[in-house]
Amino acid sequence: MLHDGHVIVAAGRGAAPVFRAERVSSAPRTTAPADGTLAVVLYPKVAMLDGSQAHNAWLHELPDPVTKTTWDNYACLAPETAERLGVETGDVVRISADGVPAIDLPALVQPGQHVGVVAVAVGYGRLGTDRFTRIGPQWLESEPTVAEGGTVGRSSAPLAILDERGFRITGRVARVERTGRREVLACTQDHHTLEVPKHLAPAHGEVRDAVRTTTFAKWVADPAKAIARHRPPAADLWAPDHANAGPRWGMAIDLSACSGCSGCVIACQAENNVPAVGRDEVRRHREMHWIRIDRYYAGEGDATSASHQPLMCQHCANAPCETVCPVLATVHSAEGLNQQIYNRCVGTRYCANNCPYKTRRFNWFDYPREDRLQNLALNPDVTVRSRGVMEKCSLCVQRIQSAKAEAKRSGVALADGDIRTACQQSCPAGAIVFGDLSDPASAASRLVAQGRAYAVLGEINVKPSVTYLADVRNASAPQDAR
Amino acid sequence: MTQRVEAAIFTSEDALLAAARECRARGIEIVDVHSPHPIHGIDDVVGIRRSRISTVTLVAGAAGLSFGLWLQYWTSATDWPLDVGGKPFDSLPAFVPVAFELTVLFAGLSTVAALLVRSRLRPGRAPRLAGAGVTDDRFALLVAPKAGDVTSRDLATLWERFGAECAFAVEDAS
Amino acid sequence: MTTALPAVHPAPAHAPEKPTIDGDKTLSQVTSDVFSPIEKRASTAWKLSFTAAASALLLGVVAVGYQVATGIGTWGLNRTVGWAFDITNFVFWVGIGHAGTLISAVLLLFRQKWRTSINRSAEAMTIFAVMCAGIFPLIHMGRPWLAHWVFPYPNTRGSLWVNFRSPLLWDVFAIGTYFTISAAFWYVGLVPDLATARDRAKGIRKKILATLALGWDGSARTWSRYEIACTLLAALATPLVVSVHSVVSMDFATAVIPGWHATLFPPYFVIGAVFSGFAMVLTLMLVARKVMSLKDYITPRHIGAMCKVIVFTGSIVALAYLTEVFTAWYSGNPYEKFVFLNRAKGPFAWAFWTMVACNVISPQLLWFRRIRESIPAVFVLSLVINVGMWFERFVIIVTSLTRDYLPSSWSGYAPTLVEVATLIGSFGLFFTLFLLFCRYVPMIAASEVKGVLVRREAQRGPR
Repeated sequence: MLHDGHVIVAAGRGAAPVFRAERVSSAPRTTAPADGTLAVVLYPKVAMLDGSQAHNAWLHELPDPVTKTTWDNYACLAPETAERLGVETGDVVRISADGVPAIDLPALVQPGQHVGVVAVAVGYGRLGTDRFTRIGPQWLESEPTVAEGGTVGRSSAPLAILDERGFRITGRVARVERTGRREVLACTQDHHTLEVPKHLAPAHGEVRDAVRTTTFAKWVADPAKAIARHRPPAADLWAPDHANAGPRWGMAIDLSACSGCSGCVIACQAENNVPAVGRDEVRRHREMHWIRIDRYYAGEGDATSASHQPLMCQHCANAPCETVCPVLATVHSAEGLNQQIYNRCVGTRYCANNCPYKTRRFNWFDYPREDRLQNLALNPDVTVRSRGVMEKCSLCVQRIQSAKAEAKRSGVALADGDIRTACQQSCPAGAIVFGDLSDPASAASRLVAQGRAYAVLGEINVKPSVTYLADVRNASAPQDAR
Repeated sequence: MTQRVEAAIFTSEDALLAAARECRARGIEIVDVHSPHPIHGIDDVVGIRRSRISTVTLVAGAAGLSFGLWLQYWTSATDWPLDVGGKPFDSLPAFVPVAFELTVLFAGLSTVAALLVRSRLRPGRAPRLAGAGVTDDRFALLVAPKAGDVTSRDLATLWERFGAECAFAVEDAS
Repeated sequence: MTTALPAVHPAPAHAPEKPTIDGDKTLSQVTSDVFSPIEKRASTAWKLSFTAAASALLLGVVAVGYQVATGIGTWGLNRTVGWAFDITNFVFWVGIGHAGTLISAVLLLFRQKWRTSINRSAEAMTIFAVMCAGIFPLIHMGRPWLAHWVFPYPNTRGSLWVNFRSPLLWDVFAIGTYFTISAAFWYVGLVPDLATARDRAKGIRKKILATLALGWDGSARTWSRYEIACTLLAALATPLVVSVHSVVSMDFATAVIPGWHATLFPPYFVIGAVFSGFAMVLTLMLVARKVMSLKDYITPRHIGAMCKVIVFTGSIVALAYLTEVFTAWYSGNPYEKFVFLNRAKGPFAWAFWTMVACNVISPQLLWFRRIRESIPAVFVLSLVINVGMWFERFVIIVTSLTRDYLPSSWSGYAPTLVEVATLIGSFGLFFTLFLLFCRYVPMIAASEVKGVLVRREAQRGPR
């Protein structure tokens, strides 16, 4: 055990606990205090927790599953509250508890939040995080990654309560007011709903259907109707010219299972040597993650819900990126992978422009990799990319290749499930399933054959190898209400 | 072989053209005409046949087109076929622009090359000017009267009739 | 033996012909007008302009040097917007070049005599504009030092060839051919005038010009071949100019991005290029006729003709804009519809309406004779149109990219100082080259102008 570093426990499931709905009641609604004060809620973020992870750049740069914001903590306010206070996302607010100014934080308008609450993440402003000041590329217009105080985020400790009853992160009543300053939050998503802005949509509105959601009742009634959208049939201009007898790798992602936890993002970062680029680069929308979790809000007020969609390179059979590369730096493998050949890439970025999913990532700079100790954490099976080349999800091709080599060496044919991608491996919900789509018996193929399966942007006929399973919910899905 | 060549300088193209027609009528061989700009109608008088440069252009263009199509087909479908965006290895419609550009490139460069070679234009070649000013505002008519056919006097009279500015003997400038 | 002969013959009366050139020039006057500016010392105006242009160029060189040394990250691009100023400038400059070829080739084929006084500088403009254009695809690469990989040459990597299906590769061939043929055409046209300059020069200047003039002697045989060669080159350049901007437009038209994916693009881009190119020719000619004292050669007739071309092409551009919007609406494709609503009312609406004001509304003023005949008005309009055409490319490239299919990836774009400096630098390069051209090369095709002068001194011998 000491030698292996892990214990193998017998697979199997315990008896599933019975869900007792009668024990659940909705939380009591409270209205905002009439005097305009707000209840402070300090909360641990999924990545930072209590702050013990505050020296991990990957976790700082991991977009929060809900706010999609990185490298900072902020004061979350409900839209109604923000409007009352006259603040927008990015306006720095002063939170004063018991009449004493506690901290200044940029506001973040959080749909669905309680109107009487200001929520602030704990674990920020830690001593020593000033080492991230110059984490990203340094150039003419670059800005430091740390906040004003010289640390990453600001400590929310002044808002906690420490008294004879112990340490509490709720219970403080605070007054929040504008300071007039602004600070741009490093958020990876600019538009937060699947609905296009009303003034840019036709009279009846326009909702994109990248994430398909339905209710269980509708699903039971008519699965096809619950998921499908009317689309004109797609036609191929070209006759197929690439016979392929071997496997065709692909993936199925179950949106019902995905909770948006973002474990896959970090797993991918560790597996594929994805650099952390710092706050300024994320502000400029140059984060490097090969897999991202898109979060879309739907509904308003208490009925706000959020959908999460893990999105990586879709390995399209009719890949628009491949056609436009002048130097053949991105081509299709015989096994259905869209391959990026780093040392051939000259960096025209035409492929990224022509990617309808925008999953390609460009090396805008030489990202610092001088720390020899940190470099020991790099995966030796994956190339570290240099400046000026494009990169993207490879479906963990290094794992595919080593599994194939092992199968060849041992003489045992590859079985379904022998190859697991890093994102699949780390998904606690089993939402991501990788496999051979040419084998109808593979787990991925069986999911793809389900009635819930659909291709994101299938209508433009790029034929993605990644299939999504629609999100079926118990409650009514607000975005399906139309 | 050095031949007796005489040059007459005119100040207008019409005068030169008229004098040249007269020479031709009298059977005096016209060696060449030098002028600051092309003179329309001179070709027939001097006896210049239509240049075959256009044939060069056509052949070179056809070569460019063939080369372009062959290069694209061979590299994309034969030498190293790659699956690019699900397109066939021989994506002929996509090969049209490059084939067209190579047609024009070959045709154009060959046309220029043919002009330079045929007219013996090259850096370092000393210009054989029939007289000062033929690149400015003078027109020179070079004739090679056969010995005994026309006398110097006859020529002088001829030049005078057509208003030549001056006339002089030159080496064979052809 | 030289015999001076009297040359006194009455000139017969010719039917009056509307002159292309003002001022009743003789051949030697043309020679002196064209060649004396390049033989004199530089004027103060030229020196000041050159200093300004060279400074702008230097700024651009510093910006590009910094960018190549540091990374494309010094531009304001992001994961969603991979092209912005770079390709906008590229398409803008390629477009500028088109008028030069049109004037030199198409008008030659149509035997339009008025082109003779502007074709040399219009062609020079083409060559310099294509040089400015060509720089952008080069420096926009992440690894410009590997730019030679876009050429299909045998190599030790396979040989790994290039992707002939990529519109960027078509660009390489189209722009390469366009530059080569334009430069060859221009040089061939220049040779007779270089010979004239050679015969007027002395000393080292004569030696240099003698080399460049290739031993030209004005022989009728050479002229005969020369005229055929020029017609052939014009006949080749005409479809070439159409193909170049068509290919450039296919960078967008063949993509899947809404707002790019449009079959209308090739003719739309070609006519837009002619439109912007003529505006730039006007800008340069109006300056040159003032600074280089060429008022007799660039006459109100030339300016009027170019204004008419601009109002014609500008109207087609307006029609193309309308067609684009109609197609998006009629297609019923929600992504396409959104692109145009987003252009008109989204974050880049200011750029869109700048484009409409400059390209659709302003050229219509040229229907009025009073405006066509006012030099300051025409000059201002030519500048406005160039601004508008730059914004047209910016709107097409940036608004389409910022908001495409998935709302999660929508983003914005703002240029950095480095990008602005690079744009200024490209103008610096263009004007530096153009000013050097004005100073050292005969700006007007003297041999062609001589050919179209009305012959007043003509004399005829007896029949």
